Amino acid sequence: MSSKSQPSSNPMASLWNSYNDQTSNRLKFIDSFLVYLMLSGIVQFAYCVLVTSFPYNAFLSGFSSTVGQFVLAASLRSQVNPANKDEFKEVSPERAFADFALGSIVLHFFVYNFLG
Amino acid sequence: MQLLKSLSVLALALAAHASVLTVKSPRLVVADSLGNQLRAEPFSLTQKTLTPVELERTDILKLTFQIVDEDGKGVQPHQTFVRFFDPTTGEEGIQPVKVTTAGKAKFELNVQRPPQYLPPTGSSPLSVSLIIGTPNFDPISAQLFDLTLPRSQPAPAHPDEPTFHLQQELFHTFRPDQKLPPKFISFVFAGIALAPWAVLFGLWSQVAPAPTNLLSPSILPFVLSLGALEILLFWYWVQLKLGDVLLYGFILSIPTILTGKRALSSISATRLGAKQ
Repeated sequence: MSSKSQPSSNPMASLWNSYNDQTSNRLKFIDSFLVYLMLSGIVQFAYCVLVTSFPYNAFLSGFSSTVGQFVLAASLRSQVNPANKDEFKEVSPERAFADFALGSIVLHFFVYNFLG
Repeated sequence: MQLLKSLSVLALALAAHASVLTVKSPRLVVADSLGNQLRAEPFSLTQKTLTPVELERTDILKLTFQIVDEDGKGVQPHQTFVRFFDPTTGEEGIQPVKVTTAGKAKFELNVQRPPQYLPPTGSSPLSVSLIIGTPNFDPISAQLFDLTLPRSQPAPAHPDEPTFHLQQELFHTFRPDQKLPPKFISFVFAGIALAPWAVLFGLWSQVAPAPTNLLSPSILPFVLSLGALEILLFWYWVQLKLGDVLLYGFILSIPTILTGKRALSSISATRLGAKQ
């Protein structure tokens, strides 16, 4: 990339560039999912505020599913990130994924249970 | 036998009548709040005082007397009462009087601070009597005089009084049913809510790492059993009951755990092998 050699004057741009350059595709894959969850949660919340909260249980379960999934995915990301290897010596990436899968199944059970 | 019995009763009655109590120097005084005597006269147990005693709001009534036996010796009776009775309403108030061992008694009634035992007063006067009772003496119940007191205030209303009437009937009120927004808005927001999927797939198409061995025999069963669990949960939303989904979920979790262990350990082995 061309921006790699020339330091950018804009701090946001330099942050973006360094993210693009230094983050592995696996983490970007999870990051995309996080972005998706954030957008989805924001849209649902905006709908609840702007249009109607009816049916409220559906809003709650939809919104909480995005929040819960975000938390699970964020913890998965932090555990499989090679930069955090020293923090999670005991947790292999496979173990982190197993945790993520189990947590997601339980979360989805509660979400469907609440969806009505 | 019958004669003997009636004779003994007669003897008892005679014995009971043997001792008579009298009251020495009985005196009633009406004083105003400054202590000026408005009326002072003796009273009698045998004859009711004809002029009724009238008390104003600040007056004090005092009764003094000494109880003596036939020999003129002071007696402290067991029970001495002054009774205030309203013949029109039937209400009465009875107040014990303290008598000393020498038989001297003093009774005071301050209208400014009307005592609790006084019955509520109306237009008719209260009849005041003196009651004395003690063993071995004849009981005394003597009308003393009529007493006119200021009319008592109406009884104060209890704070809870209004709640003891028939209350207004209660009706259940329900909020109106919540309405779904117009179809157009629903569709627009459904589109907006689905838009993040496009973002997700757009981003994934750029950054997704190539799924190298997703279809390998060690990993595919795990992916399938995870998918089966998700389908089960979706099915739960659509149709199943809680008990069913817990049972099926438990059954399905066993192969998921086994295949998961196998798949993840194979991935781990690949990863570690690649490192070394």
